[in-house]
Amino acid sequence: MNQGMNLVWSKSLHWEKYYRPQSIPEALKLLEESGGHARIIAGGTDLIPQIRNKEKEPKVLVDITRLSGLNEIKLENGFIKMGALVTHSQVAESPLIRERALALSEGASRLGSPQIRNLGTVVGNVVSGQPGADTTIPLLALDARVKVVSQRGERIIPFTEFFIDTGITAVDSTREMVTEISFPPLLENETSISLRLARRKALALPILTVSVVLSANLKKKTFHYARIALGPVAPIPFRAKETENRLASAPIEDGVIKEAARKAAQESNPRTSLIRGSEEYRRAIVANLVERGIRKGIERLEGKHV
Amino acid sequence: MSKEKIQTEVNGKMVTLEVEPDDLLVDVLREDLGLTGTKVGCRAGECGSCSIILNGKVVTSCLIPAMKADGGKIMTIEGLEKDGKLHPLQKAFVEKGAIQCGFCTPGMLLSAKNLLDQNPDPTLEEMKIAISGVLCRCTGYQKIIHAIHAASETIRKQGV
Repeated sequence: MNQGMNLVWSKSLHWEKYYRPQSIPEALKLLEESGGHARIIAGGTDLIPQIRNKEKEPKVLVDITRLSGLNEIKLENGFIKMGALVTHSQVAESPLIRERALALSEGASRLGSPQIRNLGTVVGNVVSGQPGADTTIPLLALDARVKVVSQRGERIIPFTEFFIDTGITAVDSTREMVTEISFPPLLENETSISLRLARRKALALPILTVSVVLSANLKKKTFHYARIALGPVAPIPFRAKETENRLASAPIEDGVIKEAARKAAQESNPRTSLIRGSEEYRRAIVANLVERGIRKGIERLEGKHV
Repeated sequence: MSKEKIQTEVNGKMVTLEVEPDDLLVDVLREDLGLTGTKVGCRAGECGSCSIILNGKVVTSCLIPAMKADGGKIMTIEGLEKDGKLHPLQKAFVEKGAIQCGFCTPGMLLSAKNLLDQNPDPTLEEMKIAISGVLCRCTGYQKIIHAIHAASETIRKQGV
């Protein structure tokens, strides 16, 4: 029997308790007491859709947006430090990040949409553990590390050890909390760049994101070192180590750059995807974007605004 | 489930609300306060039709637990006109034909308002970025951009 359309609104997602702790110890206590059923919420731009899709079913949300001291970007003891509440908008607009880590500013400014950038946090983007996340890739190239606290204490995890599988990181989100991400700011002979390929400029998942950090001696026309991060080309954010090795101390020459780009395509491992294209296509764009990233990086070092 | 009290300023008025822990702000605005100008599209933060301005920033209210709005300051589309007079952006949207079906319009207007509040003389690129979080399937965006540009000129001349 046709019952007609149900036009009455009904709730389609559920949790039982919503806490707003005033301190980190209080937040950690709430997590522990919830016995694995709690999740931290900051921006909520990943978590709320995940709850709606029943990918995550927490009974308790611990809102950390009232904690003080976690919404700053600062230069301290030789590191740029970003607290857990720093949003993508904040990073995109930060003069410190633009001057000393441009690739991160570029990554943050292309993520989602203005609405998402105003809500979502960099720490949340990283903790979600997605292999092509817009701030994760530049942070991997910038040699970032993560500060994790729990009731058992504090640990610092380098990005290279942080990602375990797609959506899974070294953090136990039901008991631990990331309070800070930090990385060394770039020096005068260093530069960074992020490139992103997507179907459209807003609200489209990246087909590929590439971040390059370069250090070079332009007078001697040699690379000092390069750090190259890519995603998604593997289950976790990927550092193209062989490509980096090819560039280390190598002359700045066309042949070297092209060979390095080819190595990046070889060592990355994208699979054929309905969203992102065939494996062959994805390898081809890895080579393409890595080459472009290196060339634009050199142009930046030469003082050209690109 | 026990309800909790929150206090928030909505369109210039302090309101006290009793919300459930898992209520979302978009639903409280629409169902409890009757502010149905805020639309529900995708419920995933992708279409932007539920956009509001919260504490000076344009955000998608479908991703925000209502509890988070406690102590906050909200502007919905209903708060854009003043004393029965349309905001210059609203006038420009009407005049430039930037409204077709109207479903994206509240989100577009609040995105544009948030832009002009921070940047009264935006470039074309800045206008495009500002409305990039709201999907429109009717206008092709051109007339919306024209309207924002026209409104920015009006506002700069009148100092609204």
